[in-house]
Amino acid sequence: MTKKEKQRESKRTVLIVDDTELNRALLTDILAPDYDILEAATGMEAVGVLTSRWTGISLVLLDVVMPDMDGFELLSLMNKNGWLSSVPVIMISADASAGYIDRAYDLGATDYITRPFDEQTVRRRVQNTINLYAKQKVMENMVTEQIMEKERSNFQMVEILSNVVEFRNGESGLHVRHVRAITDVLLQTLRRRCPQYGLTATQIALITNASALHDIGKISIDEKILNKPSRLTPEEFEIMKTHTVTGARMLEETPNPQGGNDSFLRVAHDICRWHHERYDGRGYPDGLKGEEIPISAQVVALADVYDALTATRVYKPAYPPEKAMEMILGGECGTFNPLLLECLKECAQRLKRELDLNSDSSMSAMEIRRVTSELLAHGELTASSRTLNLLEQERGKTQFYTSMSREMFFEYDRESHRVTLSGWAAQELGLTETTIHLDTGIQEEILGAEALKDVNRLLAGATYLDPDVTGEYTLELSGGPRRFRVDLRTLWDGEDRPTFARVVGKLTALDG
Amino acid sequence: MDIRTCYQQLGGDYEAVMGRLRQEERVAKFLRLFPRDESFTLLTDSLTARDWPSAFRAAHTLKGVAMNLGLSALAQSSSELTEALRAGEPAQDPTPLYQAVKGDYEKTVAAIGALENG
Repeated sequence: MTKKEKQRESKRTVLIVDDTELNRALLTDILAPDYDILEAATGMEAVGVLTSRWTGISLVLLDVVMPDMDGFELLSLMNKNGWLSSVPVIMISADASAGYIDRAYDLGATDYITRPFDEQTVRRRVQNTINLYAKQKVMENMVTEQIMEKERSNFQMVEILSNVVEFRNGESGLHVRHVRAITDVLLQTLRRRCPQYGLTATQIALITNASALHDIGKISIDEKILNKPSRLTPEEFEIMKTHTVTGARMLEETPNPQGGNDSFLRVAHDICRWHHERYDGRGYPDGLKGEEIPISAQVVALADVYDALTATRVYKPAYPPEKAMEMILGGECGTFNPLLLECLKECAQRLKRELDLNSDSSMSAMEIRRVTSELLAHGELTASSRTLNLLEQERGKTQFYTSMSREMFFEYDRESHRVTLSGWAAQELGLTETTIHLDTGIQEEILGAEALKDVNRLLAGATYLDPDVTGEYTLELSGGPRRFRVDLRTLWDGEDRPTFARVVGKLTALDG
Repeated sequence: MDIRTCYQQLGGDYEAVMGRLRQEERVAKFLRLFPRDESFTLLTDSLTARDWPSAFRAAHTLKGVAMNLGLSALAQSSSELTEALRAGEPAQDPTPLYQAVKGDYEKTVAAIGALENG
């Protein structure tokens, strides 16, 4: 690669959004020597460019006054979609009124340039803004990497410790992983349903990680008792019970330079000591009752029982999840906090999915989420560019799959009302465009008022935990009406959000 | 005719535009593009149709372009029209303001035309 080519390669990209061609041309003329330029003549066009390649854009120069979607509207949309965290915006306008300038900054613009502008000013401000953002990004990545590294080693230490215990138990290590996954799901559900527990993302991460140590006290139990295939004698059972207190003592005696009530050791201690307590006070070792039992231990106790039931043990076969649920709810395996049982019922489907995932892969969905929530809790970090690149690759993958498939897929973005169809869907439906802007009027025209109402009813019933809905509809297409089965999955920005952000779907023709 | 003379004829500020855009070729290039910009036509049509938001946008765009190219007279008259149209339907008949813009616009296009023909 020659030096010139190299330079060319590393040129950053600036998106110019202005409805006036002359204005775009003038800015392009000024910036083209230093940047790759993309132009958009309308707000919607800019949304299209940003949606498909926002991670590749270093800066947006945005005109304020434009027909249809003006600069302020585009800016708020960028803000809502989180694009502003990695793409800075400089607004340009002939309007130097304080109202306009304030509004631009309020909505998240980095800078405001008034006409008539000076060539040097434009170049310098563009350059400075890009450099600042780039520096911030580098620092962000460094911090992210460091926290990730710390998390990874923490996680591994806990994993090693708990595997030692499992190994002596003659179990595979899966139990620890499962308890961890179940604890995480239960806590997330509990957090949403019962704000009175005041659970934060950091606490959930802490409890989930500490849950792996719940049986660490078993290290002190004689192997003959630990692995006895037949029923334990009362004496043996008494010895077995000491694993709670022993585990707790091991953690008490671990030096704890940080101290504090929320520390990892504190949480792990509570879990070890009290994960065999019962909500009715008939558990061991202390006979704690109800909310006397720390919520961390309550959750891990339930996770422990659930996994014990659904796993194969020397003394019993694995029960199917439905049977395990029935036994727990029927009170056959101890008594639990009724709120937790509600949570368990609610997340039954999700548990099944998570446990399947956690059977073979060490980098589970749960773990990734945990690390992410930890990251967010630590410093409100925005997505690192590594994450963005991964997302970009995922997007590429999806595009490839949909383009190769003879299935009718589509995607609907709630914010912008854009519908993107797979090539095959567009062809089958007799459409030339794969992207259409679908406002309510057009939706009604294609679907009919009744069906639209029905779709909206179905979508309103979808939740983060139960995101799929299905219906059958007749679509009024240019070639005449056709009947379809419509499978929809709602995609959510997070389980705390009241509504979904996007819908992906598949159409299956029912009329051949 | 050279660019400096052209700016004198159309009531522009040659020094200012050179100070901002630096290169005479660049100024000349965009000056020549100016007659192709459709803002003035859009302005005329929108005012005829009493479509005030479109008229405001067209006047605003014309003002912005004129300011960037140092077309001072046109920038001034279109700025006054822009303000009259900002709040929607103007309180007073905007025709006199529009006529001023039209005069400046035609003078500007004529001067650029003369530049074009040498």
